[in-house]
Amino acid sequence: MQANHIRIVVALIALAAALVAPFAVGPFWMTLLTQILIFGLLALAVDLLLGHAGLFSICHASFFAVSAYTVAILQVRYGQPTIVAAPAGLLAGTLLSVLYGSAVRTRGVYFILITIAMGYIIWGAMYRWASFTGGDNGITNVPAPAIGGIAIQSQIAYYYFVLAVVIACMIGYGILVRSPFGLALRGIKGSESRMQSLGYRTTSHLYAAFVISGAIASLAGVLYVYYNRFVNPVAASFNISIEVALMAIVGGSGTIIGPFIGAGILLGMRNWVSSFLELHAAVMGLVFIITILWAPTGIMGIVRRLSRRRMDAGSKSV
Amino acid sequence: MTVAAVEVRDLCKAFGGLRAVDGVTLAVAPGERRALIGPNGAGKTTLFHCITGTLRATSGQVSLHGHDVTRDPEHRRTKLGMGRTFQITNVFADLTLSENMALAIMGTDRRKWVLSRPVSAFPAVRELVQSGLAAVGLGERAEHQVTLLSYGERRQLELALALGTRPRVLFLDEPCAGLSPSERQRIFAMVRGLPRDITVVMIEHDMDVALGIADRVTVLNRGRVMAEGTPEQVQADPNVRDVYFGHV
Amino acid sequence: MHNAILQAINGVSLAALLFLLASGFTLTFGLMRVVNMAHGAYYLLGGYIGLSITRYTGSFTLGVLGGGLAIVPLGFLIDRFLIRRTGENHLAQVLLTVGIAFVIGDIALKIWGGDNLKVPTPMFLRGAMELPGGIIYPTYRFVLILFGILVGLSLWLLYRKTQIGAVVRAGVDDREIVSAMGINIDRLFVLVSALATFLAGMAGVVGGAFLTLYPGAEWEILIYALVVVIFGGLGSLEGAMLGALIVGLLDAYGRWLYPDFSYFILFGPMAILMLFKPQGIFGRAG
Repeated sequence: MQANHIRIVVALIALAAALVAPFAVGPFWMTLLTQILIFGLLALAVDLLLGHAGLFSICHASFFAVSAYTVAILQVRYGQPTIVAAPAGLLAGTLLSVLYGSAVRTRGVYFILITIAMGYIIWGAMYRWASFTGGDNGITNVPAPAIGGIAIQSQIAYYYFVLAVVIACMIGYGILVRSPFGLALRGIKGSESRMQSLGYRTTSHLYAAFVISGAIASLAGVLYVYYNRFVNPVAASFNISIEVALMAIVGGSGTIIGPFIGAGILLGMRNWVSSFLELHAAVMGLVFIITILWAPTGIMGIVRRLSRRRMDAGSKSV
Repeated sequence: MTVAAVEVRDLCKAFGGLRAVDGVTLAVAPGERRALIGPNGAGKTTLFHCITGTLRATSGQVSLHGHDVTRDPEHRRTKLGMGRTFQITNVFADLTLSENMALAIMGTDRRKWVLSRPVSAFPAVRELVQSGLAAVGLGERAEHQVTLLSYGERRQLELALALGTRPRVLFLDEPCAGLSPSERQRIFAMVRGLPRDITVVMIEHDMDVALGIADRVTVLNRGRVMAEGTPEQVQADPNVRDVYFGHV
Repeated sequence: MHNAILQAINGVSLAALLFLLASGFTLTFGLMRVVNMAHGAYYLLGGYIGLSITRYTGSFTLGVLGGGLAIVPLGFLIDRFLIRRTGENHLAQVLLTVGIAFVIGDIALKIWGGDNLKVPTPMFLRGAMELPGGIIYPTYRFVLILFGILVGLSLWLLYRKTQIGAVVRAGVDDREIVSAMGINIDRLFVLVSALATFLAGMAGVVGGAFLTLYPGAEWEILIYALVVVIFGGLGSLEGAMLGALIVGLLDAYGRWLYPDFSYFILFGPMAILMLFKPQGIFGRAG
């Protein structure tokens, strides 16, 4: 059908652009693009719960930070190679989500509040447990990731690495959300009571989704620490958790590309604004307000609405 | 003595000081069509909720085909063969009809846990979705979003979803509520056409529908069973007439 | 033993402050089903305004009252023109009010700068006093406890013993019934909201006198208030009192005994409570 063709073409163009980018733009943009991919992935993790299961979690920075810190501590303090540190980081963050997933026993505003508090636990730990986490200063001098003696030193090489990982995740995510499990999540979001009467143990599905989402967030954390070569408690902050949720919404919650579009908009905007205004928290706040009140379906929502209008206008009866 | 399809023993449900269901005992035989009638506020829907597991009973016992399900959560009861429709249409508004149906089909199936293949990769599910929708006359609209459906069509979908779980006992809560006469007839015919290996318990305000389908009728009033018998017996019962038509 | 009592008083004085903030937050949710994450920002802004008033007029009392009152019109405008548009969508409310808090916080930063500012207290509240048992304790924090008890008692009397309070309680239970009774539910909402905002702003001045005011304080205090409400149950005034005590004491003892892990001491019990009674001690399911 028409819509699908357009989608494939757009996806291919985006892919081509992403592949060619390093040769077209300078190092500043490379940094930004890598950031967009990493935080877009984190936003995607949040959106699995938000856009599909209907759960608003504001603690995903915890998984992100725990995996980043695990990698950093293992590589810097214990001299472990990437082949050990990276999977350990992924595992640590995922284990935290296994623990934190017990929050799915609550719903609605209680769930939101509890995830906020859980997020603060990790952030507080990063700050106060200075002897282990480096406190305020965090962990610096994280080396470049290296497998079998070959290190990914250059910015451009790392960008391609991150791009490859993100594309693989997007494909996997696409399969996941189209699977019966993904459909079940959307069913729970639509009507949990109906799902229960159809035979679904809804809390189990939500728990599984939470852990998968935590794993994706942990992966983003691993990518982040090797990109940044440094991690501090800000990585676990409430600000990050809520900003990535906003990214998902601005870009279009419930879609695969939406979180990345949102990351592009928010990170791009922050970079642009901070070059001439110091009020970037206020600007971010305004984006929150404007999006929620006037564009809650995000960019992808607007695109869909426009394309549907064009299709209705252009086509005969369905 | 065959095991009852549904057996309720001395069921009570209290909300604070209010006893919505006050010691109800009844038994429905396998294959029977039972109508549950009574004035507004009699506790019919609450009783349903307690039997299907939406609410936990305060005291008493519920069994489905001999299994004691009093402590079981709703999804467990569905696995044991319970299906239900809701009084206020409870379908998945943001999904398509086939997605709605697919959820119902897979509800009691292990396949609902598959993460790695799309729903469309299960031809058996697709077939059941099509036949399930066709059975209620919605086969043509499979790919439409529920938001495009009329109220009557949503009630049809509601019935299709309940049947999608392949129930042994079907609880219908006012299936004809808010429908036009022709729509009522359609639902009426569908319920009538259900095979006898499914037991049907139905709350219905429309006396004609209830009496036209039912083998037996239970009359509820103020949370208690006031009368029970064949449609003719119940209709002739003076207490029932009082409750429904007031004192003459 | 001496230290233990000292920490207990510390905990209770923090509890008094937290109660001021949490009570408004929990009643706003209970009655209006609104989650207002800008409460921390109201605290901060009220504190800063009260600070300026105190500096300008030399009166602490004026500062306290002024800080509270100044926020009320702002809170009203935010409620009416922004929050109201989200209906009961809690996700939208959280995001919206976080955004509002970001804006307020940044504006406050621009006006009052980034340093730790302390609200000046009157002479008679400075220094230390001697409590029974020979304990020397900062006067201000002790008076804060008395203040908290006073406010708590007043709120409780208002809530439990007056006509208006009865209507509010009925509204928390079932909003439809209250409007069906012909009571102007809108005006009630405005009143409760104004009270909550006033308390938050006032708390900022009161808290700013010993905790100081600085960028980020609005989030630190908010998270404590949220934990209070998680413990006590959303919508319950008594829950806010009990929750505030629990949080205040856990925080004081945690900081004293295990400073590195004080956050765990605070959040650990919360997490355990959540596993068994997620609606909080006095909360209702759903």
